[in-house]
Amino acid sequence: MTAGRRGLLWVGLLALVLGAAAGVAGAPRVPNTVLVMGGVISDAVSLDPAQAFEFTSVWAAAQIYDTLVDFNREFNRVVPELAESWTVSPDGRTYTFRLRRGVRFHSGNPVDARAVEFSLQRAMKLNLTPAFILTSFIARPEDVAAVGADTVRVTFKQTMPEILMGSVLANPVSSVVDPALVQRNATPTDPWANQWLSFNDAGSGPYKLRAWSKNVKIEFEAFDGYWRGAPRLRRVFYQEMPEPAAAMLALQRGDIDVATDLLPAQYKQLQGQPGIEVKTSPQFTVNYLAMNVGYEPFGKKEVRNAIKWALDYDALRRIFEDALDPSQTIVPPGMFAHLAERPYRRDVARARALLREAGYERGFRAELIVPVGPPLPDVAAKIKEDLAAVGIEVEVRQLRSADLLGIYRAQRHQLVIQRWGADYPDPDNLARAFASFDARQLAWRNQWDHPVKRTVEQAVAELNRSRREALYHEIQRVVLEEGPYAIYGSPLEQNAMRSNVKGLAASPLFALTDLIDAWKE
Amino acid sequence: MWAYLTRRLLLSSLAIFGVLVITFFLSHVIPGDPIAAILGPQAPDHVIEDLRRRWGLDRPIPEQFVRYLGLLARGDLGRSIATNRPVLDDLREFFPATVELATAAILVGVTLGMAVGIVSAVARGRWVDHLVRFVSLIGLSMPVFWLGLIALLVFYFWAGLLPGPGQLDILISRPPRVTGLILVDSLLAGDGAALRNALAHMVLPALVLGSHTLVGIARITRASMLDVLGQEYIKAARAKGLAERTVILRHALKNALLPIVTVIGIYYGSLLEGAVLTETVFAWPGLGRYATSAILSQDFAAVMGVTLLIALIFSLANLVVDLLYAALNPRIRYE
Repeated sequence: MTAGRRGLLWVGLLALVLGAAAGVAGAPRVPNTVLVMGGVISDAVSLDPAQAFEFTSVWAAAQIYDTLVDFNREFNRVVPELAESWTVSPDGRTYTFRLRRGVRFHSGNPVDARAVEFSLQRAMKLNLTPAFILTSFIARPEDVAAVGADTVRVTFKQTMPEILMGSVLANPVSSVVDPALVQRNATPTDPWANQWLSFNDAGSGPYKLRAWSKNVKIEFEAFDGYWRGAPRLRRVFYQEMPEPAAAMLALQRGDIDVATDLLPAQYKQLQGQPGIEVKTSPQFTVNYLAMNVGYEPFGKKEVRNAIKWALDYDALRRIFEDALDPSQTIVPPGMFAHLAERPYRRDVARARALLREAGYERGFRAELIVPVGPPLPDVAAKIKEDLAAVGIEVEVRQLRSADLLGIYRAQRHQLVIQRWGADYPDPDNLARAFASFDARQLAWRNQWDHPVKRTVEQAVAELNRSRREALYHEIQRVVLEEGPYAIYGSPLEQNAMRSNVKGLAASPLFALTDLIDAWKE
Repeated sequence: MWAYLTRRLLLSSLAIFGVLVITFFLSHVIPGDPIAAILGPQAPDHVIEDLRRRWGLDRPIPEQFVRYLGLLARGDLGRSIATNRPVLDDLREFFPATVELATAAILVGVTLGMAVGIVSAVARGRWVDHLVRFVSLIGLSMPVFWLGLIALLVFYFWAGLLPGPGQLDILISRPPRVTGLILVDSLLAGDGAALRNALAHMVLPALVLGSHTLVGIARITRASMLDVLGQEYIKAARAKGLAERTVILRHALKNALLPIVTVIGIYYGSLLEGAVLTETVFAWPGLGRYATSAILSQDFAAVMGVTLLIALIFSLANLVVDLLYAALNPRIRYE
């Protein structure tokens, strides 16, 4: 081949690639019956609702499966889903559900009481990560029983206020799966077909799982036989876009309709841009600095409160680009029984006075552990600066989660920065974690054993809504005034979307609301 | 030759075994708890204890190692705690994407890098040479992450010439999985649309990832060519009246190739490890992100599986380079 011909060949090849590229880039935008979301989906381990426990998989399972009951958008009222209605026994422990008739799984099989019994028992017997949500409140699998073709009875260990009942039974772990499909795919080593269900669909929800290719995309298809009517969005894709800057470009170009994992600064930048809307919602999560009471200075209430008075809460909020509600209590804003009191602000004189009172006028040293990755190390640096101003010398150590959580669980930390996201939308989840030593969660890890733990048990069993609210207010006040936590806010859930996307909003618990309510104009 | 090959393979197996032993014990003695990392701060203690038992992590480390070797002997790489799948399945899923990207990147690096290196050597000291050296210095000092974002901004966002992140447009279905390599699979399926789309998606990440390789290969090519161009036989070839093209491409380049091939082998090997930053920017489902998250969460089986794969790649790359030496230089013989 002569040099000239070879040159021509190269030019031809280049033209081919660029031509193909130009053709691709000029392709039409996403049609109106299709929704494309971009974000981080690589957290998903399994789409089996009995195993799903990560943001993406829990959200995906909620689209594929139905539960007996659901929550309204604000997560403060239980609404019917597969169950049309229910009654509760006078002691508040036994709920009897009447199922909606004529509901079918994607396979065409009917959703009946036996399927509900099978599904909840399966989740409890499999006993994978999210099963504790069921087993904490239901003693034995047999306590979920079909008592007729369309009637199911659930007996709880304890008195269950309705929101708490919903917290358990509206959770995706309580999804109803198609028993026939599960049994058909069971194997001797995997009798509950957990492996099969991890990648396949046995649901009755508004969307069918079309495909899940790990770290690439999850693909849903509308289920026309859905009992609430066929969804308007015919196909939905959730695409992996781990780099927020790239996801933002794709959103602005219209290649994706929704971006779920941008950075706070990017949401701020997108606000007010034509064609794009940023939706914000409170999130049932609490950001906190915890002090281990077992470390001598923190055994004194005055020292703990000195730290709460030493922090510059406004500056900490700025680190989050203001995507942080300034709440200071353990029940996050938007949740039932949230106490809107915010007594603490930066007051160096007061903090110093408290330290003096505790006998630490010369200060002391403490080690602060914090997970790597933005923005928490910045929070740690600011806290170090704030505490230095009152004479407490803090040494910051950044650790991988694998190391940090080992230390925290073993009570070997002094100060730690962490967050707690509600497992279910009832204040019991947070009160138990933060205030009940016996629950072996946060109060235990920080060695704070306070009599308020008895109020936690009293509140969870209180059926009267206003008395229950008062009890949670009391718990929040005790933790605020004596607890080993400086709470510096509740993060806000944000999502950015093209403005023709309607009916989809940020949600306080599962990041985004259900797809069934969404459409594109 | 065969004796040499056998000896080399034996030595490689020993080296790989050594790598496995070191990786296993290192990853088990550094503090940290993979189960706690994966379940997060909220899982109850009893769930963590339960899982630790289920995964056999409560056993003594030597016992775990013997168990691992037993699995390995049966061709089983164990199960990833994070993905809850056999590590072999994970590697099968993520490695092909890395192979495609690494191969495209090395092609970019070799073709452009050698061309630039040769031109620069021939034009030594002239403005072309200075320009090339200046640009390559900038190229080397530019973080790949930043370069990737700039490339997306210019070619995808502003110019609209090339597609955005991902291996395929979202509405284009992936051809049926045969090899796992999208280009090959779409050829096998005769799916022209997917092939064109996948090629277009590959242009930016391959250029970005290949840029560092390009600079490295250009530099070594320039140095090696300068070395050869100064030798007597080149003068003799020119004195014979051979065309300059022939002198450079036939006589000089062939003899300058040895160090270049070595460098290409090393570059290709490390590209095949996966490139976490490029993969992140371009949403490329490759080995780099899998390996990084495995290390961060101390997902032992996954770390071991990736290490084994990389050790294999490097042994193989070294072997191929050594064999190429013999092919390129008849004076090198392996007994």
